[in-house]
Amino acid sequence: MKNSRSYVILVVLIATAFGFSKYQDLQYPDYFPVPQYNFDNNRLSDEGIELGRNLFYDPILSRDNSVSCASCHSPYNAFAHTDHDLSHGIDDQIGTRNAPALFNLAWQKSFMWDGAINHLDMQALAPISHSGEMDESIQNVVLKLQQKERYLHLFKEVFGDTPISGAHVLKALSQFQLTLISANSKYDKVKHGSDLFNEQENKGYALFKANCNSCHTEPLFSNYSFANNGLIVDTTLNDFGKYAITKQSKDSLLFKVPSLRNLKFSSPYMHDGRFRRLNEVLNHYTSEIINTETLDPQFEQSIALSSNEKADLMAFLQTLNDTDFVFDPKHQFPLNKSKNPKE
Amino acid sequence: MKHCCILILFLISLTSQSQNDPELIQINPLFNNEHLELNKQYFLASVNDSIKVETLKFFISNVQFFQDEKLIDSLSKKQHLIDLENEKSLQIEMSRSNKLRYNTIKFSVGIDSITNVSGVFGGDLDPTNGMYWTWQSGYVNFKLEGKSKACSARNNFFQYHLGGYQAPYKTISNIELKVSKQNLIVINFKIDAFLNGIDLAKSHSVMSPNDTAVALSKRFPEIITIGDEK
Repeated sequence: MKNSRSYVILVVLIATAFGFSKYQDLQYPDYFPVPQYNFDNNRLSDEGIELGRNLFYDPILSRDNSVSCASCHSPYNAFAHTDHDLSHGIDDQIGTRNAPALFNLAWQKSFMWDGAINHLDMQALAPISHSGEMDESIQNVVLKLQQKERYLHLFKEVFGDTPISGAHVLKALSQFQLTLISANSKYDKVKHGSDLFNEQENKGYALFKANCNSCHTEPLFSNYSFANNGLIVDTTLNDFGKYAITKQSKDSLLFKVPSLRNLKFSSPYMHDGRFRRLNEVLNHYTSEIINTETLDPQFEQSIALSSNEKADLMAFLQTLNDTDFVFDPKHQFPLNKSKNPKE
Repeated sequence: MKHCCILILFLISLTSQSQNDPELIQINPLFNNEHLELNKQYFLASVNDSIKVETLKFFISNVQFFQDEKLIDSLSKKQHLIDLENEKSLQIEMSRSNKLRYNTIKFSVGIDSITNVSGVFGGDLDPTNGMYWTWQSGYVNFKLEGKSKACSARNNFFQYHLGGYQAPYKTISNIELKVSKQNLIVINFKIDAFLNGIDLAKSHSVMSPNDTAVALSKRFPEIITIGDEK
């Protein structure tokens, strides 16, 4: 984290010189690109982040106060949902897609597997309102929060003496989620020069750059574009991805490219969680690609990897697991603020 | 002389009074040439039957004033949520920065694409106002709901939620109107004309960006006119 600290110091110095303090709260390494998120409209503050964290872990966002964001986005799974191929919502309903891991969200251009949501601020509206997830309305969330002394106090600290609004709830949730930065894996340490890849990891890194990096682009390990990666359609779901949103045939079977960071914690894989193990994923890319009209041109020739090469690639992918991120107490249930989250 | 002074003072107070009168844009939803009331039965010619409107909400945005194509002024507040349930929202205060004359007003029905992709906003744009889609990002530009026996949906309910900010389903509608008065602009929205142009039996539920939403949004210039300035 040495580099990232010096970067933050640099940003603070520049910001002080220009008399403003853009991004000074968000710490990320100097080899990360410029974030997509516009912080000018939602300045991060310690209080705002803490409020967002309280909301993220509070089932008050759901109709019967049973489901929180963390129900399907657990910190120990890099904010994905372990062992659930499809998301698990209110009244034990099962959704149609795998709950994605949440990290490095400031760099994402759109949200959801199909890109239905165009901005992090607006993302939470979808699970809050979905009848199979939280089955609540943002109007009623605001009414419920207004009846809690603790929240009246927390919102006042962040947004001043105005009534709680939907915009406040969503901005606070964004603030917390923006701090979920995963940038301390072995890969990052190697980038900082404080660690070295072993021989196998080095071989895997070379294979990664040759075969995967065009979509799962370093250092975020995704370019956050949409692609058809040759998965056969699950006829129990008939999910055509981005097509459902744009209704354009060119978007049929296109899903968002997920990051390859934290794979150890975020199984199962793919938009419908069909693969429980990473070797199933590699086998898909080497020998199970289904050729349909919208298949990404890069898969027209299948990727050839020997079993040794697969093991090397796997060794490299393990270096993208960020244990510090997963166990960071700053991201976990806000125990210290209140013993009872419902009060 | 004394009387004269009082008269002059009186005249001054009169003129200053008229200068302090707020300049207003009055949104006037009409049905069969009367001011539309929610939950009231009206006769709709196209179905030869009664109809009632339960919800009418829409956004007016980017209001600009022109004199012969030259931009004179624009309202600093960019988006205004008009909600027939809240009569106060039908009046938009102009609070212009200058007193230059204008003969044209331009505005949009709906929310522009930049605002649509710029995250959450409070006030008239707050998502609690029920004018933002949750399952797919984007504002609802125009919402009209009600009941008509001609409508084959459950409970004869029709609902037009028109929105969409991306091609090919871009639904923001630009309006340009000639005006003569400066202090009060009355803008009619002829809801009867809007509904008369729809086959209620077939097209009663529009709730996502699609071809129908685009086609219906293109009809706004026909149903929006300058009203009588009272």
